[in-house]
Amino acid sequence: MPVPLSPQKALREWKLYLFIVPSLLLVATFAYFPAASAIYHSFFDWQGGDNKQLIGLANFERALGDSVLWGSFKTVSILIVFNLFKMIPSILMAVLIHRLKSDRAQYLYRVLLVVPMIVPGLVTLFIWKFFFDPNLGVLNKVLDFTGLKTLLVHLDGLFGWGVFFENAPIGWLSQPELILPSLFIWGFPWIGTVGVLIYLAGLQSIGQEVYEAAELDGVGPFKKFLYIELPLILTQVRLSLILLIIGTLQGYGLQLLLLGDAGGPGGRGMVPGLWMYNRAFIAGEFGYACAIGMILFVFILCLTYVNNKYVRVDK
Amino acid sequence: MSALKDAVGSHRQKDWSKHLVLLAFILIELFPFYMMLQVSFKDNASFIQNPWAPSPPFRVTETYQAPDGQPLVKERDATWGEVLSGSPKGHPADPAYQGGELRFDLGVYKVQNWGFGLKLIGPYIANTVFVAVSGTVASLFFAILGAYFFARYKMPLSGVLWGAFMLLMLLPGVANIVPLFTLLKDLSLLNTLWALIIVGVAGGQVFNLFVLRNFIEDLPKDLFEAAEMDGASHFKQIIHVVIPMSGPIIGTLAILSFLSKWNDFLLPLIILRDKELFTLGVGLIYLDGEYVKQWGQIMAAYFIASIPLIIIFLFCMRLFVRGLSAGAIKG
Repeated sequence: MPVPLSPQKALREWKLYLFIVPSLLLVATFAYFPAASAIYHSFFDWQGGDNKQLIGLANFERALGDSVLWGSFKTVSILIVFNLFKMIPSILMAVLIHRLKSDRAQYLYRVLLVVPMIVPGLVTLFIWKFFFDPNLGVLNKVLDFTGLKTLLVHLDGLFGWGVFFENAPIGWLSQPELILPSLFIWGFPWIGTVGVLIYLAGLQSIGQEVYEAAELDGVGPFKKFLYIELPLILTQVRLSLILLIIGTLQGYGLQLLLLGDAGGPGGRGMVPGLWMYNRAFIAGEFGYACAIGMILFVFILCLTYVNNKYVRVDK
Repeated sequence: MSALKDAVGSHRQKDWSKHLVLLAFILIELFPFYMMLQVSFKDNASFIQNPWAPSPPFRVTETYQAPDGQPLVKERDATWGEVLSGSPKGHPADPAYQGGELRFDLGVYKVQNWGFGLKLIGPYIANTVFVAVSGTVASLFFAILGAYFFARYKMPLSGVLWGAFMLLMLLPGVANIVPLFTLLKDLSLLNTLWALIIVGVAGGQVFNLFVLRNFIEDLPKDLFEAAEMDGASHFKQIIHVVIPMSGPIIGTLAILSFLSKWNDFLLPLIILRDKELFTLGVGLIYLDGEYVKQWGQIMAAYFIASIPLIIIFLFCMRLFVRGLSAGAIKG
């Protein structure tokens, strides 16, 4: 714990304040100032230049009636549901690694897990984009090779989706109906390195005696997961759940690179962050973009509040 | 010992089934990496002919009877089937086909892709190394100073200041990017690498301060007192006590900070206009936007973009694994 100082001594140590000045200045200029500026400018009609006009709540009124914005909230909710589902493989993998008997194998798998992290995120993203390519892409080749494509075409005929055709390659990122399914397949098998490492850290706290007791009672592997492992990593699961929701809500890098700044064909991949980016840097409506940012901000702040109130992270 | 180990998992169930599942996961996870590596040695023609496996080191010379009576020689990469059976497949349906020959040729591996890749991406890597290294060093330097301030004494106002930093952990940064852009414009920092460095340093302060403060608080107080007895100023105490004692945590934070700067693309995309200033993020996006793509060259460029991270990984694997777990706990 830091040593408390008497005011006299503190006065003598005034130079210490110089130590915090750089950090403070940086944070004030590049974090607090932009945040304040965003709130301020959301009430203006502003093109990013010197001219701005106070228009009160007009930006927010416009946002209320903006069908693209609400459509993007719908899309992002679907993406959140997808991402919740995509948490499962990481949990499964952490439990499997934890149950391995040899410590060396456990460490080996941890290292192997980290290996994908040495590929820059953007490169992974572009390789996946390349997988989705209709003509050269790996995904279509796999579907052709395994005969799954014929199945998809049959299902299409059955349900009348009008998406998959016998003789045409599947345009994963160019057909509006396929944008969301593509975003779902994205990143298969959905192992998040960081996620698995968090869960492993949580599992590490399970004492041997718990397993021994379970063993004596003849508890099977699935029940072990349900009654021993899951409750113990529930904190971590909840934590990553809330971080995931917040991350998905704010994120738009993936959609921007994969589908372009208009959210892809039919705007099916439009998310709120991307719409903000689009309004600011494509349409030049900086004031309105700030208002969208504020709406998003309020949503996330509420979630953070709920998180802090109801989801306790016990150390 | 082994009885104790056995307690984790079941006695009856052997581990091989778990290994099988885990290996399957890992293999799929590493598949993009594999594709990147093997495609980087191909040109588009051999990639279309054989997308999955590395090419065999053989080429086929095919002779055709051209309509004017002259023999026409065509060359292509051999397929694995031809290499295994030892003879070229031939084209029985084509009357002009006269015969083919299989010969060993290491030229099927397009090593020159790597040269092109390096030319494509080298300047971007140089810019990114500059931004990431100077940003990481500056970020950690300021964070150590700040953390020392909070950890050493409980100064008047330090509670308030701490709160001001921690509040930022809760605030989402999403709304910031638009005003940040105009702020950088007003500071005439648009289209400079300095903008990336400064914003990166500012963005890293909160987390680094948080971790370092906790760490420095746990250092033994006697060390500081002894240094003070010897007349060391606060700055000297940082240099001679704090930094030597917190090597691993600083290393971990440095890796996390370097990684995040290496992967950053949104801010550079908005800020940078000149091609000479592009960092890796914008550079890769720019490459992706080209219409006719030589996948081999692009994949080689992708691989080259990963090399600095691979080097760090090889040298600091432990820090890397731990760093990611630490980053995990921060969330």
